[in-house]
Amino acid sequence: MEESTATDMPTVLVEGDSDATEDMGSQNSNSICLSSSSKLAGQTVAPFLAKHIPLQPDLKCRRQADELSMEQLQKGLESVSQDDKAAITHVWSLFSAAPVKHREIMLKGILTQCCFPQLSFISASVRDLIRIDFFAALPPEISFKILCYLDTASLCKAAQVSQRWRSLADDDVVWHKMCEQHIDRKCFKCGWGLPLMERKRLRATKRQTQLRATGRGLNVWSPEITPQPEGPGRETAEETNRPNAMSLNANGKRGADVPLTDDQLDQPDDSVKRSCFASSKTGINGSYFAPRTRPWKDVYKDRFKVGTNWKYGRCSTKVFKGHTNGIMCLQFDDNILATGSYDATIKIWDTETGEEIRTLSGHESGIRALQFDDTKLISGSIDRTLKVWNWRTGECKSTLTGHMGGVICLHFDSTIVVSGSVDRTIKVWNFEDKSTFLLRGHTDWVNAVKVDSASRTVFSASDDCTVRLWDLDTRSCIKSFKGHVGQVQQVLPLPAEFEFEEPVGGEDDSGSTEAGSDSSEASNGNEHHGSDHSPSKIYGDGFTRHRPRPPRYMLTGALDSHIRLWDVATGKCLRTFFGHVEGIWALAADTLRVVSGAEDCMVKIWDARTGKCERTFAGHAGPVTCIGLGDSRMCTGSEDCEARLYSFKSGQGFQLGEGRDEGGSSSPQSPPFQE
Amino acid sequence: MSGPNQVIRLMSSDTAEIPVERVVAERSILIKNMLEDIGDSALTDPIPIPNVNEAVLNKVLEWCTHHKGDPPASADDDSDSRKKTTDIDEWDQKFMQVDQEMLFEIILAANYLDIKALLDVGCKTVANMIKGKSPEEIRKTFNIQNDFTPEEEDQIRRENEWAEE
Repeated sequence: MEESTATDMPTVLVEGDSDATEDMGSQNSNSICLSSSSKLAGQTVAPFLAKHIPLQPDLKCRRQADELSMEQLQKGLESVSQDDKAAITHVWSLFSAAPVKHREIMLKGILTQCCFPQLSFISASVRDLIRIDFFAALPPEISFKILCYLDTASLCKAAQVSQRWRSLADDDVVWHKMCEQHIDRKCFKCGWGLPLMERKRLRATKRQTQLRATGRGLNVWSPEITPQPEGPGRETAEETNRPNAMSLNANGKRGADVPLTDDQLDQPDDSVKRSCFASSKTGINGSYFAPRTRPWKDVYKDRFKVGTNWKYGRCSTKVFKGHTNGIMCLQFDDNILATGSYDATIKIWDTETGEEIRTLSGHESGIRALQFDDTKLISGSIDRTLKVWNWRTGECKSTLTGHMGGVICLHFDSTIVVSGSVDRTIKVWNFEDKSTFLLRGHTDWVNAVKVDSASRTVFSASDDCTVRLWDLDTRSCIKSFKGHVGQVQQVLPLPAEFEFEEPVGGEDDSGSTEAGSDSSEASNGNEHHGSDHSPSKIYGDGFTRHRPRPPRYMLTGALDSHIRLWDVATGKCLRTFFGHVEGIWALAADTLRVVSGAEDCMVKIWDARTGKCERTFAGHAGPVTCIGLGDSRMCTGSEDCEARLYSFKSGQGFQLGEGRDEGGSSSPQSPPFQE
Repeated sequence: MSGPNQVIRLMSSDTAEIPVERVVAERSILIKNMLEDIGDSALTDPIPIPNVNEAVLNKVLEWCTHHKGDPPASADDDSDSRKKTTDIDEWDQKFMQVDQEMLFEIILAANYLDIKALLDVGCKTVANMIKGKSPEEIRKTFNIQNDFTPEEEDQIRRENEWAEE
């Protein structure tokens, strides 16, 4: 350390005016760090101050020393002689009056005089002192950005820190993003997924929230200047691109299963449209008519609770008894459950009360398949017919004949009904022009069919151990998926939102495909939608650039006790789920989970991304033949003549930890490439 | 000399002139746009950066130099918010091992200079300082006064209990 520079410094500083030091010393402790308020009128200091008083006044620099350290400082000061005290306070006052540049020089001078223990003292103190309340000092849009990186639990802790933090951490901007990340999909970040909510609301408020996120339009909803979030054209496109809910899940109507969003929530969307042509009604968004939306945090919370209930198997169970023979098919929605049985009847149940509403009689033999919508219920029976019912009245409106053997499966989407039969054929019934035709190719019973009307294709599963993809335009088989070594009972195209990250290396599996028309592409392992391979090469000439493609992924379940996840485009089997000890009869899935029912009387919930079995439900006394899945409920039907409805909504009659927790451990023979 | 290796000069708020390769400076969209606007006079006059001081500007340029070869950020980066993780690459993590004051200044500078990737790293760093902490630990970390009444505090704690499963 240079002696010469060191000796210069203090002398300059000690020469102070006594008025100023007197003043400083007598003031209360808080003034030590603050410069502007004190009347530092000393001759040495005054000109200095006059020049520099407007110091950088930014928020974070107005640092307040806490009372404890001020007290200690005061005590330290009392311990020295009166003269020294004056000198010290004068040094402080000089420093506090100095502008940034001068302060820096002063500090550098002091630092050069410090020995290591003093530097160490500084270093330790400084680390403790530089603590900034980022959210108080940063503009809100950056604070939101930071908060959006947090997980649910951390966000809820942040909301408890201070008023300022609470207002930011509870903001719609943050929770809207959380909802986008987690609802109806598994978050890449945390693997956590929440039930679906109404998309309409998501879209409607998106624009508004985006503006807030970027610091514009804070607290204002101003449709006059805000472009409509997304045009109606796009909405339509999105709807049609979505595989029909039915194709996803032969039972349960999705979407509105958790009625958490009110009708009024659609209002933002509507008011935008109105204001476009009704300028006289501009007052419509005034306080009285302003849409009263629930905070997004609340929306998220409700989903989160359902999500944790699924996770921990907390549910209430209702048992539906009444059939006199095994239940073979079912579907449920918000209010009703429909079951079809080998006793040749269909029963409609009230899901709230658990009571039977009515019985649909007319089939002469066991019911193997059913599907309903708002206006009709279609059933398929071993008696070789399909029947169309008004399920609200119990009236049979028509009977469809044509199959040469029992009808085992059916699926309808818009105006097309597809049925599969013991006679090895698939029959396509067009309700619009009353035409029908057959799809031939399977060499044994056809156990499951799913029509995808957007791409005009049909998926089928058969006792011949294959799964096939058919083109409704050319009426021919596009692909045949081989890999199962048992009769395939279920095929389930997954919704477009289902995401799968292919593990590196892939699964070495016997799954393979043969193209119906041209087998040369069968071995192409890495084709993806959107890659250079044209759809016509993958699916045949009927697939021009503009024709929607079939769903990318599908699940199949077979009596070989395995569930398989396939890439439809490449024909590759991506994953095998094993855990059931006997054959798979039933399968349902959404973007969050896969549920299976088997001959072993068990129901299992799987994570499609990892292939892990998450939970096993016992309870049925016979093989589980059919499953329906909703956002917060699932329903299983069995040969034991009973249906069981599990509700994961919080409420009464809750049984903690229903089902056997698989403890997060992988099932015995789950694939070796766990994520 | 023009082109990406051309050296331009930036002037910080405390009037320090910092020479920097054009390609490095152009990580900042603000500077990039400015250079396009003013054209060749960038060669002769330093570009004023009035909101950033020398120390912070140097730090920011250090980051820009390391990341000068990165592909430009795509416009719709934000759209797929699910891909947001708080993972930070190793070099950036080291780079961000600064005191809170510098971190704060880097975030403000990245925001002002419009360097999205740096702003992201800064925000992630702060998020990681919040993550997994109790409210009291957060207050300690950032020296925040608890301005809730005990009743309020209790009520807010109960409001947020659902997240603790």
